[in-house]
Amino acid sequence: MVAALGRWANGKARDSAYALGFFFQVLKETALFMRRKQVAFHVLVLQILFTGVEAMSIVALIALAFGAVIIVEGGTVLPRFGQTSLLYSILIVVITRELGPILTAFVIIARSGPAIATELGNMVVSHEIEAYMSVGINPIAYLVVPRVLGVTFSVMVLTIYFNFFGLVGSFLVAQLIHPIPFVEYFSALLRALQLRDILSTVLKSFIFGVIISVVATYHGFKVSASVTEIPRSAIKAVGQGFVLCFVADALITLIYYV
Amino acid sequence: MADIIALEDVRVTLGGFQALRGVSVGFVEGKSTVIMGPSGCGKSTLLKVAAGLIPPDEGRVLFHGKDIFQLSERGLMDMRRQNGFVFQDGALWENKTLFENLALPLQVHFPDVPAADRNRRVIRALERVGLEESASERPAALSGGKKKIASFLRALMTEPALLFMDEPTLSIDHAMTDRIHQIIRDQKGRGSTIIAVTHEAQLTSTLADRLVVMDAGQVLASGDFDEIKRSRHARVRAILSEVLKDIASYDTDLLSLLDGNGESI
Repeated sequence: MVAALGRWANGKARDSAYALGFFFQVLKETALFMRRKQVAFHVLVLQILFTGVEAMSIVALIALAFGAVIIVEGGTVLPRFGQTSLLYSILIVVITRELGPILTAFVIIARSGPAIATELGNMVVSHEIEAYMSVGINPIAYLVVPRVLGVTFSVMVLTIYFNFFGLVGSFLVAQLIHPIPFVEYFSALLRALQLRDILSTVLKSFIFGVIISVVATYHGFKVSASVTEIPRSAIKAVGQGFVLCFVADALITLIYYV
Repeated sequence: MADIIALEDVRVTLGGFQALRGVSVGFVEGKSTVIMGPSGCGKSTLLKVAAGLIPPDEGRVLFHGKDIFQLSERGLMDMRRQNGFVFQDGALWENKTLFENLALPLQVHFPDVPAADRNRRVIRALERVGLEESASERPAALSGGKKKIASFLRALMTEPALLFMDEPTLSIDHAMTDRIHQIIRDQKGRGSTIIAVTHEAQLTSTLADRLVVMDAGQVLASGDFDEIKRSRHARVRAILSEVLKDIASYDTDLLSLLDGNGESI
């Protein structure tokens, strides 16, 4: 029992050390990315295409739907308490500070997390990673950094895109319930919008992007020899991505309000 | 001649299994060395450690006397440019076309060469082995033999002085095997250092200047081919006989050497 506990603790410590080492390698190679001859640049462009451009329709749809839900709920509940004027502040807080970053992150975790982990895991098993090393290509610089940059950039842009569509969605539904002129609606939203809301959405989306990409690439590289490890690593990329994004979201929100 | 690669008391554990147990061996510059041994004895691991693809848990790997795993980034790049590695399963990059597979090493090591010159070089290499029509195909669309040939071409794109080969003729037909033998003979003729893991008797017979015989993660014997095939070590003789028994037609005195003093192999 004690021996098993010791082995478990030893394994966890080794995994943590490996994860930390991986993270620092990624940081170092990211810092050097612009200095390198940019053979990895097309990998970055492809990653933005897969993670950012191809997710635009689903993110827009979710944003429109959530914007509509918030305006319907808010427009129904708030007048009962004589707080209709709070509707714009609630829209801004809920969409830009919370739902925009976290729901965009969820979409990317579900779409790109397993895709990245599976692709890299397959490369490990088929010795493609060793082949990169054999020709002098650092796999972290060539395969991980473009994915980290591409996913992070995509999450940040998609979050702004989500916020925009969330607010547009709420406007469109508002026209059905209680038509408001376009200028009046968006003027009220801009009055409710504060610099800290923008900072919050940018900071959260940046951190979520880093978490999603580093976790997915880490689990892809953690595959050692067998194809049966690949689905497990994809599942872990999704699970840990969700958990770490939730924890980071809670911490950032706490720091903002405390 | 001096060792181009030397391993000093190298130990490697992979997935809890001790793949190499204190291996010390040198590979002489300009010579072709064949690593032999039963399946699972650590031959491929030794090859990858020697090529700097797997770091040892203990011990050192020296390239021209310098520890590979202590080299600066520039030093490592120089070393990689001078080395080529042919993987057992080809290990072509599946998300790239055959052309891109061959062009990438040139892009990495010669970034200042104009793209048109690089492309010409890749096309020339493909034409030499008759694969020019497959240039735009992905590896998944290629046969096993073509993948192996392509893996050779990729390893040779930077004209390396040292070539590592892991079972270069495994699971491919006669025609492809002949083409690969020709490529290897050409490399040997140019004076390249070749380190190969193979079970193929004909290749061993035509290629090996030196032999390394392994068993259970350890080197049992290493040295000149002629010297090793006369070894009195029972396990070495048993391992050699497994591979070399097939090559009597290529080396008429070999079986008699292995059967020396009437001993059965």
